[in-house]
Amino acid sequence: MAKQGLKRQQNRMALMLLTPALATILIFTTIPAFTTLSYAFFHWDGFQRGSFAGFENFSRLFHFPFREQFLIALRHNLLVFVGIFLIQTSLGIFLAYALFKIRRGQRFHRTVAFFPVIFSLVIVGYTWQIILNPFFGPVNYIFHSLHLDTFARSWLGETSTALPTLVFINLWRWVGFPTIIFLAGLNAISTDYVEAARIDGASEGQIFRKILFPLLAPSMTIVTILTFIGAFEWFDLPYVLGGSSGGPAGATDTLALMFYRLSFGSVDSIANQIGIGSALGVLIFLIVGVGATLGAKWLRGREVEA
Amino acid sequence: MIRIIGSKLFWRSVLIFNAISVLLPVFFLVNSSLRSSTDFANNPMQLAKHPYWHNFAQVWQNGDFANFLKNSLVITGGSLVFILAFGVGAGFVLGRYQFRGQNLILGFVLTAMLIPAKLMILPLFIQLKWMHLLDSQIGLILVYASGSLPAAIFILSGFFRALPVDLDNAARMDGASEGQMIRKVLMPLVKPGLAIVTIYAAIPIWNDFFLPLVFIQSPEKKTIMQGLTIFFGEYASQWGVLFAGLMIASLPLIILYLILSEQFIKGLTAGAVKG
Amino acid sequence: MKKAHRHIRGLVAAMIAVSAIAVPVVAASSAHASVELSFWSWRPEDTAFWTAETAKFQAATGITVKYTPYVATDYNATLATALTAGKGPDVMQIRAYGGMSSLSDAGNFIPLTSKEVPMLAKMAPGTLAGAQGYKDKRQFGVPYSTSVLGVFYNPDILSKAGVTANPTGWAGLLSAMDKVKKAGYTALAVGTGYAPGLEQMWGAISPAFYGGNAFFKSIVAGSTNFNDPAFVASLKAETQLFPYMPAGASGLDYNTQRALFANGKAGFYIGGSYELSYFRSLNASANIGWFPSPAAVAGGARYVTNWADGAYAINAKTTHKAEAMKFLNFIASKPLMQDGANQLGWIPPVAGISSSEPAITAMQRKIPTMGTPFLTLVGFRYGAPTSSSIMQPGFQKVASGALTVEGLAKSIQDGVATWYAPFTK
Repeated sequence: MAKQGLKRQQNRMALMLLTPALATILIFTTIPAFTTLSYAFFHWDGFQRGSFAGFENFSRLFHFPFREQFLIALRHNLLVFVGIFLIQTSLGIFLAYALFKIRRGQRFHRTVAFFPVIFSLVIVGYTWQIILNPFFGPVNYIFHSLHLDTFARSWLGETSTALPTLVFINLWRWVGFPTIIFLAGLNAISTDYVEAARIDGASEGQIFRKILFPLLAPSMTIVTILTFIGAFEWFDLPYVLGGSSGGPAGATDTLALMFYRLSFGSVDSIANQIGIGSALGVLIFLIVGVGATLGAKWLRGREVEA
Repeated sequence: MIRIIGSKLFWRSVLIFNAISVLLPVFFLVNSSLRSSTDFANNPMQLAKHPYWHNFAQVWQNGDFANFLKNSLVITGGSLVFILAFGVGAGFVLGRYQFRGQNLILGFVLTAMLIPAKLMILPLFIQLKWMHLLDSQIGLILVYASGSLPAAIFILSGFFRALPVDLDNAARMDGASEGQMIRKVLMPLVKPGLAIVTIYAAIPIWNDFFLPLVFIQSPEKKTIMQGLTIFFGEYASQWGVLFAGLMIASLPLIILYLILSEQFIKGLTAGAVKG
Repeated sequence: MKKAHRHIRGLVAAMIAVSAIAVPVVAASSAHASVELSFWSWRPEDTAFWTAETAKFQAATGITVKYTPYVATDYNATLATALTAGKGPDVMQIRAYGGMSSLSDAGNFIPLTSKEVPMLAKMAPGTLAGAQGYKDKRQFGVPYSTSVLGVFYNPDILSKAGVTANPTGWAGLLSAMDKVKKAGYTALAVGTGYAPGLEQMWGAISPAFYGGNAFFKSIVAGSTNFNDPAFVASLKAETQLFPYMPAGASGLDYNTQRALFANGKAGFYIGGSYELSYFRSLNASANIGWFPSPAAVAGGARYVTNWADGAYAINAKTTHKAEAMKFLNFIASKPLMQDGANQLGWIPPVAGISSSEPAITAMQRKIPTMGTPFLTLVGFRYGAPTSSSIMQPGFQKVASGALTVEGLAKSIQDGVATWYAPFTK
């Protein structure tokens, strides 16, 4: 009897405590997500929904004039993912290992390494914009005074350097994040393995290659998946630095920027294309969702138990 | 070569080099905010020997920054209230009760975690309009709350699950109701979890400029990051003033980080680091 | 179970209540005080002007006006979302032609007649057309200025470089730039970093190459298209100016390029009449001359590209219609237009106002004889992709060598043909 009373009390409690959270998520995340999906299947005139369109919006994405933009943006997202993954991950492991080796002052260096992560991308973007300004910025000032004039260029303004420069700024802002994750991974590895290897006469390099690095696989999985999601939803930094058209000349355009333009219109025209924009939104979500799920599955399978 | 890489000196210099490259741009930002615009235009690389505080005065008078900061505080704080209150409740139920459909609910929450608000900005826009929640701080707060709740529930349910079952039984034996048990016994024990969720949710909300850009129209309701983008258009080449604006916008977080860096690191990497 | 239901209802009610309270609180705060109109614009540069003018308006009527400028590149999206949200300002600056038509067609503005705004009766039909809808042809805004494109020059630098007479032909302009460059100055203070500036520069020089009004009429009618050799030649002409841009031109932003010219560092600036006020704000005593874009061959026809720059409109959802109309009439009044002409370089759409700025007066005088519409802005902004949205990044690609002018012409044609009916026939 008492047990049943408790059960009933718990049921009531569960309902009461779950409802607000689940209702909020339902109303402001789940329902709009399904609405996005439905928008993609209709014709739109401005913000007015028209007739049913089937897959027309999706197919228009793959036809002129959207195809070219779409493919360029997709290529940029891929390049950004590869670039960030290679540079940021290796630098992250490198820094994490440095922190792992150095105990005295570790706290200070950890704090410093993570510092840029807390900054808003608006602040990061504007600060670097001034730092890299070809006329008034300190970077070119230094290059000029060192007579390295070929390096004194318009880093964000030239189509060939704009995207790599954005990746570099992203690196400055974010490398502390994988560093901390890899450091946590290193710290979680039992010292027994390392001690045993050391007694067997293994060098530091061998210990890292043969023991530490393979055991970092779980951290690697997490960093890879987060980098993948971040790269394919990349919006804030290119928007702040290149505007909604991914300037210069679309050199920093991404899928998310294209989605924004289709949804709200571009700089010179208010005409928007909600149907095609929603189709693109669905595609981005599919790329990210399927890519992250499959990637995680594959990477998890390769992890060794620590 | 191998010996050099093995030495502590090498790794220490790596860290020092990293610290310099991280801090140099920040130092540049602070230093330039204390120089007059013409001084900066003449030579971008000089120390501010005589701090030019006038920049800050100008930002404060013309930039509406006090109001922007207040709005950001209201929106971040308001979102946190919803996230913590709703997240603790749901986290408790999912972490401590066993019932049918639990996995279904967990699946629902985890799926929501994967959907970024950015990609459904249009339906949200039209839905908020229909709910009369556009250009309203409460509308923005609810969207943010919904965005952070799944992760908050996930993190908090982990904390609740980790507490020994005997705690509940002992409290129930003493005649505590379920509600009393949560408040008096369990809540104090999941405080570290609350700290993590707070930072995990608050920093991205404070730093966001995209949702306010679309959902907030009235100039007097704009947030600090949104305000900053307008400010940059207006003071285009008055470098000193721009730097001062950037400083004022980033100072609150910098100060908090200097005091609570460990919590920040834990909170922002929550979900990515186990335990 | 019943009790649980009540709990849920309570919670839902609480959530709705919280959201419901927020809206009226916000609304109530502005209702109390004496009327304050909100007024949006894409010109942060004009803040001082409007602060002074709205103060005059308040002194006369007791109505306060709050001027809020947005960054020009963000303005369209901001205004479109605000109006669609049923919010937005009471009075606002709107773009001309296709830049606003989708907003006016959606019923966002109060239609105007000369009954409410008598000054409209004194404006030319060509000017008024800039603030009429695409489908709904009623008048939705009060035009304030005709924008004119042409060549600004710094007389001091030109005379130091040995350029004695203003060039009248294209070759003459290029050789003048050559001389300025050799004299150690920046020849042309326009960069490829600011994409809209590239279209405006093209807008200034192109009519001489494609042949002004006749070509405009035939391309709008669809009897020729953007692949026309005359159009390609006009694109080609722009690329001949690239060598005269300063080093680092691809990173030159709008403000920096204007500052280069205003501060006497460059010989030429090809752009619009609306730049003058910003030049003056940077350097009040700058010595600035102006001449119409040169002919393709000296002695040939010259054109002065001009269009209605924009207009001021009233939000259909305003709760202060009478006050907003008063303010609109204040904007359309001769004293304000006179101030605009003197301080902002306006060329007002009504007769009898001349600017204290000699360059503006010079432009005004040329319009009747040399005037021609801005092809891409006036003709092809009613659908997406607009010719401008392809041309602007297109020129950047041409500058970096990634695209030929023929390729650019073709991509403009292909893009516009997706929505422009006369091209699909």
